[in-house]
Amino acid sequence: MSVLSIKDLCKSYGEFQLQDVSFEVQRGEIMGFIGRNGAGKTTTLKALLNLVHPDSGEVRFFGMDFRENELGIKNRIGFVSGGADFYPRKKLRSISAVTKSFYPTWNEAEYRRLLALFALDEGKTPAQLSAGMKLKYSLALALSHGAELLILDEPTSGLDPVSRDELLEIFLRLAREGVSILFSTHITSDLDKCADRITYIREGRIVCSEDTDSFKSRYRLVQLTEAEAKELQPYLIGQGITRGGITALMTPSDTERLGIPSQSTDIDTVITHWEKEGKA
Amino acid sequence: MKNLLIKDFRLAMHPTVFLFWLLSAMLLIPNYPYYVVLFYSSLSLFFVCLGGRENRDIEFSLMLPVRKRDAVRARICFAVISQAVQLIVAVPFAALRQAMSVGGNQVGMDANIAFFGFALLLFGIFNLQFFTSYYRAPEKVGRTFAASSVILFAVIAVFETLTHTLPFFRLRLDTPDPAFLPEKLAVLAIGLAAYVLLTFIACRISEKRFESLDI
Repeated sequence: MSVLSIKDLCKSYGEFQLQDVSFEVQRGEIMGFIGRNGAGKTTTLKALLNLVHPDSGEVRFFGMDFRENELGIKNRIGFVSGGADFYPRKKLRSISAVTKSFYPTWNEAEYRRLLALFALDEGKTPAQLSAGMKLKYSLALALSHGAELLILDEPTSGLDPVSRDELLEIFLRLAREGVSILFSTHITSDLDKCADRITYIREGRIVCSEDTDSFKSRYRLVQLTEAEAKELQPYLIGQGITRGGITALMTPSDTERLGIPSQSTDIDTVITHWEKEGKA
Repeated sequence: MKNLLIKDFRLAMHPTVFLFWLLSAMLLIPNYPYYVVLFYSSLSLFFVCLGGRENRDIEFSLMLPVRKRDAVRARICFAVISQAVQLIVAVPFAALRQAMSVGGNQVGMDANIAFFGFALLLFGIFNLQFFTSYYRAPEKVGRTFAASSVILFAVIAVFETLTHTLPFFRLRLDTPDPAFLPEKLAVLAIGLAAYVLLTFIACRISEKRFESLDI
């Protein structure tokens, strides 16, 4: 059963439109939600929790309609938007004391374990924490009430590479324990490391939502001279200029048929060339 | 809602809420426009909401397992408690002021039973204007409070003008207690009823506006 199912979500914001956004997140799955800045990632995530009111569409968590089961669903999920930026001058102890009072399922032992694991000092304030530590604190709060689904908006933005890597490992461990994670990012290399599936949004529309490996195997990367690129123009997707000449994507069948040497792609490569092509 | 109310007291409450409760002691000033004390009370609520904006209180609250309308109810309930404390703290000072043999308040309304009726009416008007406007655009809380202050002082000006000009106010309501007790108790009852009604309407409208707001 999917823990989150979104169907035909639409929202108009003046010139920006979220159009027929649909995708699903399965239990224990890490879903990367990618797109450029302004593509509609945050709006979509907020619309899931009705913080932004969709014009139409359906959002179901654990098979239940969000609007009809808001409290029950919120008890089973954790939403983290940009780390613990709230009440920056209050001690973590005070924020946690307030937070735990809202959750009947709060597990104090688990909370203590996570504080120790993340090396968080309750005597500190969010203002005294680095971006990575703030995020860990938010995760500790979410996981201590037994969240089965974590929705994280740009969790890796602003983190140094080591912290990012550490966080992605935490995601992988959580997924093994059955926690589902939906996280938005524009740093596609994060997804290569941990995402089981990716959903790609472009200008308010979902371009694809599929298994990460199948996404990457859709295309092959080719490196060509300008003359070769001109000749192969109809087969090339999203040509880009590099020091060595021209790079572009081609379908595996085309590279095979035409005998063009090619390399496998990563998500970053596919997205960059798609964006260049503008035809994703 | 109870947990959200506790959250407001533990995290959102600005120190001025407590400090301005103590300003009820200003009723001891022999000659002073006592309604100004109520402005301080309203100012402290503005600070709570302003602090909420800076501390991302709304985002924090809505990540918790609560409904949007619960957040509105808790905040208005917090305001009701704060205003009630303000007036309760003021009662002994009003009694002391009456016991002082310095004559009536030459500037405006005496700190008597009718004063508390008008105070409740004033708080009700503030709640209606401030919260309905605040929950339409929480990020513009400064503008909201500026408009509320203009209305608050306009109503205070009307009350004080009536105290000086209208015989019923001047000769019956603006007198030491227990003179004209029935009239003053009637003003207190009307003030209380108006406060309850206006605050209830403020809550309903605010809930509706906040519910339709995109965060």
